[in-house]
Amino acid sequence: MAETHRDGSGHDTHQHAGTAPMVEEVTDFEVLEIALRELAIEKGLFTAEDHRRYTEHVEQLEPAAGSRFVAKAWLDPDFRRLALSDAIAASREMGIDWLHPTGFGTPSDFTAFEVLEDTPTLHHVIVCTLCSCYPRPILGMSPEWYRTPNYRRRIVRWPRQVLAEFGLYLSEDVEVRVEDSNSKHRFMVLPVRPDGTEGWTEEQLAEIVTRDCLIGVALPRPGVTSNAIRPRHPAIRPVTGD
Amino acid sequence: MGNSVMGDLSSQLRVAWHRVQDWAYPDQIDHEMYRAYMKTPHDVGGEPDAPALFEDKEEEQWELNTFVTCEVLGWRGIWTSEERRRIGNVDLGRTNYLGLPYYGRWLWAIARVLVEKRHITLGELIERVDEVRERWADDPGRAIDAAPRATGDTEAVARNRHHLEAAGKGDPQCFAGTAGTPGFAVGDTVSVRDLPTIFYTRTQEYLRGASGTVAKVSYESLAPEDEAFDREDQGSEWFYIVRFRMADLWEAYTGPANDTLQAEISERWLRAAA
Repeated sequence: MAETHRDGSGHDTHQHAGTAPMVEEVTDFEVLEIALRELAIEKGLFTAEDHRRYTEHVEQLEPAAGSRFVAKAWLDPDFRRLALSDAIAASREMGIDWLHPTGFGTPSDFTAFEVLEDTPTLHHVIVCTLCSCYPRPILGMSPEWYRTPNYRRRIVRWPRQVLAEFGLYLSEDVEVRVEDSNSKHRFMVLPVRPDGTEGWTEEQLAEIVTRDCLIGVALPRPGVTSNAIRPRHPAIRPVTGD
Repeated sequence: MGNSVMGDLSSQLRVAWHRVQDWAYPDQIDHEMYRAYMKTPHDVGGEPDAPALFEDKEEEQWELNTFVTCEVLGWRGIWTSEERRRIGNVDLGRTNYLGLPYYGRWLWAIARVLVEKRHITLGELIERVDEVRERWADDPGRAIDAAPRATGDTEAVARNRHHLEAAGKGDPQCFAGTAGTPGFAVGDTVSVRDLPTIFYTRTQEYLRGASGTVAKVSYESLAPEDEAFDREDQGSEWFYIVRFRMADLWEAYTGPANDTLQAEISERWLRAAA
């Protein structure tokens, strides 16, 4: 077997040094990912620059944009009306262009966005029972639990029980409306502005609008500025910034 | 484990019935059993499951790379995301759907589409995977990243029309004005057809046969059954957000009578309710 010149350096890289330091084995997923990306670039399907640019786009996405969106809607009646009638235009007003970064949007998120307005007697919660559809352009990547078959199986059938597991107990006079995000629309919840926030600035308000509130598994509350603490499964080789 | 029963092994021990004989005889598969086999594995809504601990997860570098590769393949017209969903969420079968990691299925879909659309041969892929593995066997300290040998001719690649036609418009806006007059209006009562499931759909089994009310006339688009198979030659149709009463979807729904659920359904799946 020819074992040389594999790295393009012209040097024989085939060494099995018994003294090499023990390292974590490269996983099957890493090997396949690299093989496919190399072949795709070599065949001209896309360029390494395309991949780098899209990665940069993904890495700057964060749920803070959704939090600001809600805080602005609470304070500005004109923006609220726009958010409810044309959420794509409202996003653009905040500097989020759903057509980015391709010119036709992100392939998996599409460019149809709808804001679901909660009232004192109506509470929305979002799921995608078929995969994990999620408004990445405004909320970033979805949390792991949102993708699990468990959440997807149960929230559409036992919503009040599942919400209770998130610590959200709703009284019977509140209608629960589950939004199954199964097609091209993407959704975000506009919660009711809580009492105790009178006179707050947009920045103060945005702090209590956590990602979980925007999915509908939590309600904003003064003093609560982060999602519930959950166990976090660690990565073998986590994403590293360049 | 986020999906376990809190790590309680006893509660996971249960009696299972397995057929001793593989490949049932035709007369042993009735309609309900056939429907169960044909159900698309991604359609999990309403399946019973036990309460679980909802967890977060740190992302692996290969997972981000895989996601980006899938999106870039869409950006550059190699596939639409609906083709990715069909391949990675359904085609791979129930065992792998529930067994592999989330992005392990996205990765599987990339491999599958590149081979099936003749961008690479399976032989090339097998050899490259073997070679990449040996790189780190030979040099364990090497940085784990791709090292393409060349930059291919992007002009020579077959691509879809969609990535050009949607530019500057967005998707589904690129289909606007192509489906004629919507068959239903806000407030109409509609029922979801109970069509057979063959290979792919985004109309959930738990909605089949149920009646609801049109809450929004959404947009025009290719139906998922066409988009998932790269059928750009097919016509578009209207989609609707339909509101259902929970009590109409689930037997013995225990919540208040006014709890509701909404889903977005293409016109072919809807009929005016009697």
